[in-house]
Amino acid sequence: MIKVNNVSKKYGSFTALHSIDLEIEDGEFIAVLGPSGCGKTTLLKLLAGFMGPTDGTIEMDDKVLASTKRVLPPEKRNIGMVFQSFALWPHMTVAEHVKFPLSYHPNKIKEGKKELQERIGDVLKLVGLDALADRYPSELSGGQKQRVALARAIAPLPNLLLMDEPLSALDVELRMEMRKEIQKLHRETEASIVFVTHDQGEALAIADKIVVMNQGRIEQIAPPEVLYTRPETEFVATFVGKCNLVKGQWQNDRFVPAIDPKNVWPDLGVADSFKKSGIYPVRPEQFLLMSAENDGLQGVVSFVQYQGHEIHYTVEVGEETWTIHESVFASRFNTGDVVGISLKNAPIQNESLVPN
Amino acid sequence: MTAKQPMVEERKKRDSSFSLFFQKNSIYKVIGLLVIFVFFLLPVLRLVFLSFVDDGAVTLQYYTEILREPATWKTVQNTLVIVAGSTILALALGVFFSWIVAYVQLSGKRAMQLFIFLPFVIPSYITTLAWTQFFSASGPVNAMLSWLPGSLEAPNLYSIGGIILLLGISHYPLVYLFTVNVFRKIPRELEEAAATSGLSRKRALWKVVLPLALPGIASGGLIAFLSNLDNFGIPAFLGTPANIRVLSTYIYEQVVGFGPSAFSRAAVLSVILGVIALVGTVFQWFLLRRSRVNETNRSDSTPRIHLSAGKQKLLEISLWTFLLVTSLMPLITMGALSLISAYGVPFNLENLSLRNYEYVFLTDSKPLSALSNSLQLAFFTMLLCLVLGTAMAYLRFKHPDWSTKAAELFMTIPFALPGTVFALCMIFMWLEPVPGWNPGIYGTVWILFIAYATRFLVLQVRGSYTAFLQIDPSMEEAARTSGAVGWVKWRRILLPLLFPGILSGALLVFLMALTELTVSSLLWSSGSETVGVVIFGYEQAGYSTYSTAFSTVLVLGILLGGGLFMLLGKLWDRKVLKTK
Repeated sequence: MIKVNNVSKKYGSFTALHSIDLEIEDGEFIAVLGPSGCGKTTLLKLLAGFMGPTDGTIEMDDKVLASTKRVLPPEKRNIGMVFQSFALWPHMTVAEHVKFPLSYHPNKIKEGKKELQERIGDVLKLVGLDALADRYPSELSGGQKQRVALARAIAPLPNLLLMDEPLSALDVELRMEMRKEIQKLHRETEASIVFVTHDQGEALAIADKIVVMNQGRIEQIAPPEVLYTRPETEFVATFVGKCNLVKGQWQNDRFVPAIDPKNVWPDLGVADSFKKSGIYPVRPEQFLLMSAENDGLQGVVSFVQYQGHEIHYTVEVGEETWTIHESVFASRFNTGDVVGISLKNAPIQNESLVPN
Repeated sequence: MTAKQPMVEERKKRDSSFSLFFQKNSIYKVIGLLVIFVFFLLPVLRLVFLSFVDDGAVTLQYYTEILREPATWKTVQNTLVIVAGSTILALALGVFFSWIVAYVQLSGKRAMQLFIFLPFVIPSYITTLAWTQFFSASGPVNAMLSWLPGSLEAPNLYSIGGIILLLGISHYPLVYLFTVNVFRKIPRELEEAAATSGLSRKRALWKVVLPLALPGIASGGLIAFLSNLDNFGIPAFLGTPANIRVLSTYIYEQVVGFGPSAFSRAAVLSVILGVIALVGTVFQWFLLRRSRVNETNRSDSTPRIHLSAGKQKLLEISLWTFLLVTSLMPLITMGALSLISAYGVPFNLENLSLRNYEYVFLTDSKPLSALSNSLQLAFFTMLLCLVLGTAMAYLRFKHPDWSTKAAELFMTIPFALPGTVFALCMIFMWLEPVPGWNPGIYGTVWILFIAYATRFLVLQVRGSYTAFLQIDPSMEEAARTSGAVGWVKWRRILLPLLFPGILSGALLVFLMALTELTVSSLLWSSGSETVGVVIFGYEQAGYSTYSTAFSTVLVLGILLGGGLFMLLGKLWDRKVLKTK
């Protein structure tokens, strides 16, 4: 179990992290999600030990890894790390990459040569590189390089596996494949994983728990589905769910949009913080577009973008501009059409949230 | 793929031990900076101080004395004319070649680049020696001119024009070095944008390309200016016989003249030389004040200008003619003329002999002992710089704060100073490191060693620093998260990756120390002669044939060493870094 207690990091007058608190359970897969410059890489570097916190402590299994006075360097921590650029050493073969941490890591193999060779073979088999053991990095494809980087990181069975946007250097197809690969490695090594990414789709797909960061602060920590359906801050609502922030009034768990008070929307699970500020976060796919003669809010379609599996409409509603995603099987609208908009009654998992 | 569940149980909960992390290490910084200050900056301060002191009292006596002498002003005038002329020549040649190599489609660019660097690798006094042979009575230029009608004669190199020519040809590779990558880094889109905005190629060159290349051109120009100002070999070889003095040779004359006030007079002249160098540096800063350098642009070395086949051939032939005539022909002439038995006799089979070589290497004992001195000095200087310079570069790379920047600045001073001035600084500093205590460093080979090491250290720092910049920081981070620390990290990961870059820095230090003349000419003592000093001595005594023979052997050695190094670099890239 890793505890990050009240950690701040300052670079001169710039504060990269503001009093971060975070707990990582054994074997947990955590994604740290945020835009560039939000402090996620700083958090990762603090966990790795490449630098020390300006304030606060980091503990692993009740031992202090880092405080303002002392920082245990990365080579003495029980960690593995996968780098964005893979960071493969051009002068070593695939097998040598795996052998390296097995010789020097705190968890190095102390037994004989035979055990070491066996272990190298096992790790290479696990990532599917056993046939390429004697290749050099320059002779590998992008996906294979990624597998070498993974193999090197997991070889000594670290308690904590850090991944710094490991998939961002790969093309889209390969990224999907490597997501599964990483999930499989997580299952089989049972290490705790901290996976930094700016891709919300990646974070939702892969993690047990997502930490959303913005401007050096943690916005929300939650499992993917909760984060997506029940965002607690405007940032999470727009960054993760791409929500439209509809202004209006909350009256006893019912929402009246400011644009057209004739409409009343039920509470489909909106966090209290939004209720206080009079906002209903509506995800693009939660809206239902209808022809104008129907009930609902009236709006004008200003842009139509065909996406293949769905259609993205931009609709001007009063002063506001909403993004609405509709299935290709639903009725179609064109630019300039006047449309009626209402809320889809999506099934809610938590029955207690449904208003009667 | 088989799952290895048992692995999980093996995971060990490690005891983690603390290591001290020095967040407050300013005390080390201060001590380090102090040491660097004593070795690199203090000598200069002592020189400036001595120019103001006479018998323990502060005085302007030497300044008024020297500034009143017409000889001083004649020397300053010569210096300014020669430096201005040679800097313009070096800039014109350097920018022209770098633009052509960067933009125009030519075949054999790599070979061309090697020949551009040749005058840079060969010490300038040897180049000068070669040119004097090239233009000599029995040399090929005069032989060709005598075929032509009229009584044409080769121009006299022992003149201001000759000095300018030789300085320009020796230093244009520096300008080339500084500008070629600047040209390559100018995005071709910018030229294309100029073209779509209606500018012709020529106007785009003036309005877009050259202004963007200005930072590189200005720094190349500054280096050429400082090198021209600093150069001692060329004005000493060509100017002394014609009674043309520049500041660097004038300072030398003062010191070896041993008057009662020789050192103080030399110190005053050094300050004047230093002021001229400073004015040039300020001028460059003034030029660059408003320009912005975009460092993130990628270098693009594919040609941008395609000529018709005929024009391209013509251009290639003229470029190669120029390169061969300016770099290789004089050396070949020197080699050939070193084989004739006596100075001035015509070059034909009867006059060929190895007599000069026999004298240099068998009869006279000095050249061989000088060669051994220079090789040892160069080797140990290289070794010391290799370790200290790489360590400094690593600190500079890992902790880019005020302390490492200041340290690097201090280390640059001895190299940036004109050689004669620096040699004087060394005398003032190490004659009596603490006033009243003479440890006997001056007058032995040790002062040469200290001087070489302090002067050339910055070359290794820059070379290693560039090598560090070229490897991704994650290479080292990956080593650390894999548990490698200290020597293991260096031996297994960093050194193999850094080796080529560090080695080229070390080789430059070795080469510079091996053929050094300016500093050595003031610091040598009997028994500690260096290669440069011996060749200079032969030349001053009028033994041109001996100096050409010795120089020829040196040039062959340097070319052989350079070739070996390039071969080694290629092998390393292929065997160790597995690049294809």
